[in-house]
Amino acid sequence: MSLLGDVRQNVIDGDMNRTQELVKRALAEAMPPEQILKDGLISAMAEVGRRFECGEFYVPEMLISARAMKSGLALLRPYLIAANVQAVGKVVIGTVQGDLHDIGKNLVCMMLEGAGFEVVDLGVDVSAEHYVSAVKEHQPELVACSALITTTMPRMDSVIQSLREAGLRDRVKVMIGGAPVTDKYAQSIGADGYAPDAASAATLAKALIGESGR
Amino acid sequence: MPTKREIVRAVLEGQKPPYIPWSCGFTHQARAKLSAYFAPVELEDALQNHLLKLGSDIGFFTDLKDNLVQDVFGVVWDRSLDKDIGNVVGCVLAEATLAHYAFPDPIDQRYFADIPERVAKYGDRFRVFQIGFSLYERAWTLRGMQNLFMDFYDHPGFVQELLNTIADYNIAKVKEAMKYDIDAVYFGDDWGGQRGLQMGPKIWHGFIYPVLVRMYRAVHEGGKYVFIHSCGDVDELFDDLVHIGVNCFNPFQPEVMDVTSLFRKYRGRLCFHGGLSTQKTLPYGTIEEVRAESQRLLEMGQKGSYIFAPAHDVQGDVPLGNMLGFLEFVQSQPGYRNV
Repeated sequence: MSLLGDVRQNVIDGDMNRTQELVKRALAEAMPPEQILKDGLISAMAEVGRRFECGEFYVPEMLISARAMKSGLALLRPYLIAANVQAVGKVVIGTVQGDLHDIGKNLVCMMLEGAGFEVVDLGVDVSAEHYVSAVKEHQPELVACSALITTTMPRMDSVIQSLREAGLRDRVKVMIGGAPVTDKYAQSIGADGYAPDAASAATLAKALIGESGR
Repeated sequence: MPTKREIVRAVLEGQKPPYIPWSCGFTHQARAKLSAYFAPVELEDALQNHLLKLGSDIGFFTDLKDNLVQDVFGVVWDRSLDKDIGNVVGCVLAEATLAHYAFPDPIDQRYFADIPERVAKYGDRFRVFQIGFSLYERAWTLRGMQNLFMDFYDHPGFVQELLNTIADYNIAKVKEAMKYDIDAVYFGDDWGGQRGLQMGPKIWHGFIYPVLVRMYRAVHEGGKYVFIHSCGDVDELFDDLVHIGVNCFNPFQPEVMDVTSLFRKYRGRLCFHGGLSTQKTLPYGTIEEVRAESQRLLEMGQKGSYIFAPAHDVQGDVPLGNMLGFLEFVQSQPGYRNV
């Protein structure tokens, strides 16, 4: 197997130490950092997402793969910056106000990073005002909102309203997700997309960026 | 007229009851709405539930002020938003070891002290001793969910030790509870997500299943029934659960499983408690839609193996009219008379 094929396989297998060794070797061999990123790490996480969507992988497998990917990405990052390699897009993400659940949102963050996005994680219990100020500060192409319970789901509508009132709605795409969220609900509040799980969130983000992004 | 206890026993045995029994739970906010409506009648009396819940589903807590509480395992919970359970703060088992951790006393008398009084007051009801967060959930609240997920791969021996120690704690508690005149032990442990098992079937079978066998066996050896509450899409486990002696499954969420076809498949082997949509119909439906769904569930359960309930404790965003819609509906069943 090629060196980048090995990187890819070890990310899929969730072997963090081996992934780091192989990324270091690839860098030592003067392989372009963008190629290591795309053909090693991003390609691996796309396969992890595929396996998650088809029920071969579950959250534990996704987590250890994402951990391996992040460890490799940490080694690559200085080289990517030096080579002026841009992220495929920037996402501001959070769990909406009144909701402290973060596992689903964290998985989405990992899959977005694994798909090459720069992720600004606002954490949990994020107010609509906080989303608005983060959009002004970070200038993302995407805003992602998570909610786990029906009582907090309406806060997603508040985020969209606040973005509209701040004159920012046309500058970003808004995607939403979480256990009680449906495509119908997304349409009803004027969100641009809904993803039922972390893997499809990354796919959706890429599709939305394709419509508007860099 | 059979007692509520006899009715529940009949449906657990797959026998046709004279009416469908029910046992409905409500969150703090929803209880407040209903309590105000039914006052001065006590809510527990007004609900006329058929299950008498004993022990404590989520345990006892020490108030740490500022909306923080600490459970008997040492886990701190933030209740600033979720007033009923809360969200875990910090990590009790920061390392993958039990070397520096001591489990609490499983026969802490707070779990048992009110059993005689409650049984005396509601003696006609079917008595269930509750053990919430009974295995996987207890493990992740102690270790952190993301840590535990990775421990399945990084530290499998530690996970097995942790789960077995939790089971030992529960078994000691079950043995104490069975000194009282109870009918069942109601375990709670959420394994599911909106789509499939959180940890996946391989890990569930490898780590969780063998420990469940021990816990459920302890209940059956005492001649009691086993109930399990496990949220999410877990119906792929039903054959295994039946095999290891589960008698009743809750919450039977219609958003994640085909309630009618599963009921048809398992009726007589597994009883179901729940079924009424708490993610859609109750918060967003009309009273008529709530009644119609309740009607469908009651018709489904006519031959036994069914205890009506919303598929989760009803949340505070459900209109009072919708709560009353299903309560009045089940309480007005022909054949039922509150005694």
